[in-house]
Amino acid sequence: MPAITVQQTPDSQRAARRLYGFLSNQPPSWYGLGILLLVAWATRPALLSPLLLLAILKQGAILGVVTIGQSLVVRSRSIDLSISGVVVVVIWIVTSGAIPLPVPALVFLALLSGALIGTINGLIITRLRASAVVVTLAMAIVLTGSVVAASQYHQPGETPDLLRIVGSGRIGSLPIAAIVWVAVLIPFALSLRTCVFGRYLDAVGSNPTAATVSGIPSLRVMSITHIFSGLTTALAALLLVGSVSVGNTNIGQDMVLNSLAAVILGGVSFGSGKGRMLGPAVGAFMLTYLFSLLIGFGLGAAGQAMVQGAIIALAALVFTFRSR
Amino acid sequence: MNPFGPNSRSGLKPYVVSMPIALIVGLSFAATDFLNRGNLSNLSAQIAPLAIATLGQLLVALVGGIDLSVGSVISLTTCVASASVGSTAGIALALLLGCVIGIANGLAVSVARMHPIIATLSSMTFVQGLALYWLPTAGGLAPPFLPAFINSTIAGLPVSILLLLGCVIVVGWLLARTRFGLRLYAVGAHPRNASLNGVTDRQIIVAAYAAGGLFAACAGVVLTGRIGAGDPVIGAQFALATITAVALGGVQFSGGIGSAVGAFCGVLTLGLMRNGMNLVGIDAFLQSAATGVLLLIAISFQRRTIIGF
Repeated sequence: MPAITVQQTPDSQRAARRLYGFLSNQPPSWYGLGILLLVAWATRPALLSPLLLLAILKQGAILGVVTIGQSLVVRSRSIDLSISGVVVVVIWIVTSGAIPLPVPALVFLALLSGALIGTINGLIITRLRASAVVVTLAMAIVLTGSVVAASQYHQPGETPDLLRIVGSGRIGSLPIAAIVWVAVLIPFALSLRTCVFGRYLDAVGSNPTAATVSGIPSLRVMSITHIFSGLTTALAALLLVGSVSVGNTNIGQDMVLNSLAAVILGGVSFGSGKGRMLGPAVGAFMLTYLFSLLIGFGLGAAGQAMVQGAIIALAALVFTFRSR
Repeated sequence: MNPFGPNSRSGLKPYVVSMPIALIVGLSFAATDFLNRGNLSNLSAQIAPLAIATLGQLLVALVGGIDLSVGSVISLTTCVASASVGSTAGIALALLLGCVIGIANGLAVSVARMHPIIATLSSMTFVQGLALYWLPTAGGLAPPFLPAFINSTIAGLPVSILLLLGCVIVVGWLLARTRFGLRLYAVGAHPRNASLNGVTDRQIIVAAYAAGGLFAACAGVVLTGRIGAGDPVIGAQFALATITAVALGGVQFSGGIGSAVGAFCGVLTLGLMRNGMNLVGIDAFLQSAATGVLLLIAISFQRRTIIGF
């Protein structure tokens, strides 16, 4: 009588399969950053020096903070294109000198206005059921148009010293902006994992109808993500003012595109939070590193835009083919 | 079926049609220069490129998509058409490129199942780079016959307005009288029902985006004729402007509702508002803010079933 043999997968094979599963689940930003670092190592080793990496981290912090809010909004199946408008408003509040208040009060007012704009976006999108793309785009032009019209007859004022210290100062060799980024990122990441809101967000993202039927306040969840996005954008604009110290209305335009790109690279797509908070954060750093690298290669605005467009498309393609 | 009825797929709400009429009546009283021959021909030349690009945006919106790359395609077209002086090859190449970009958008949306915003956002960025590569700064020279043609008149009417009306009639016919139009509405209203009835959404979506790209390129050619040169960033405002015009025209971005006449009314409203604010002397930045407010109001009237983008 032959003994019954149980076919057992060898441990090594199982471990390999688990490793493959783990690797293929990581967001594209990790691989992108790895490839970029390899390219830099092979061609421009100077870009790998710790000093330069910290400088890039400082620049990346601004995009990183915006990306936090944008990733939340995208996870709830909405989109925030009003970032450039919020940036213009915040810069106007803190540098125009039109509001006679001490600097801390101005900072508070800037954050408050960011939250307020987010609230209005959220209310129009959820209560009036208007398309988020159109609402937030319209909000961006309304804000930019009225602020520029209000400020065109005045010289832009000085950046307050407090913001300049936060935006471009360092503690030891660590840029303060990067510390702010991490200090905002960690509470968000932890609370989304532990609080009910994180569960709600995933439920609303994966199926809004099912979430509503199950008694989850899906409209409120979406509104709250817009408020968070307004807040983080205002914070990023404050960091921006401190690091460039000159008001410029065009910077916000790039931020909209780049934050969306970072979110997609981070493995977060409409309704799916697979990349969690860390994926988009790495995506933001990766994009900033990419721009430094492209400038290092001597690519102009044309080449940068083409590479950026190709990378967004590639990340989205990877995502869709993986989720089949 | 009554085209103004609540269940009509034309999207022609009373406000869509009454807004341009009210603006015309109001402006002819408020601004004495409005009914000037010079101002009217100026107005038609201003809105012709926008109207043609908006018709393309309409076709994309009807299948439930959105095309953010129209502005970049328009910029690229002006660069390509004016970089090769005195030849029609540049114009042909520009139209071909517009079509190819549209097909790429359509394939990304229908075959790769990318979200329309992301797909056209990436092509918008890429094509903007391509335009800057082709012509780094504004310049070049359009083929001389193009400005002469666009700025001429036939039987007392400016060519730009004839082109515009021609495009509206073609798209209106396409939507109301052809199988392609019927399928566009079917796929946009309910892709699954459409496929159960034997209409494959892939081809229709690719065709809609390809037509959108082609119309954007046509708008770029008209614009090249108007300015007589190329400019790599001239189209930057067009993505938003076409979306505004389409929204003002009662077209729903969730797909399946909209008409060529509605889109034309939207363009007219937008153009008349800009023209009127220019005549009254309102600051350019406040004008864009007012356009944004108008867009917010128009979009708030479109109650949809889905929430979000």
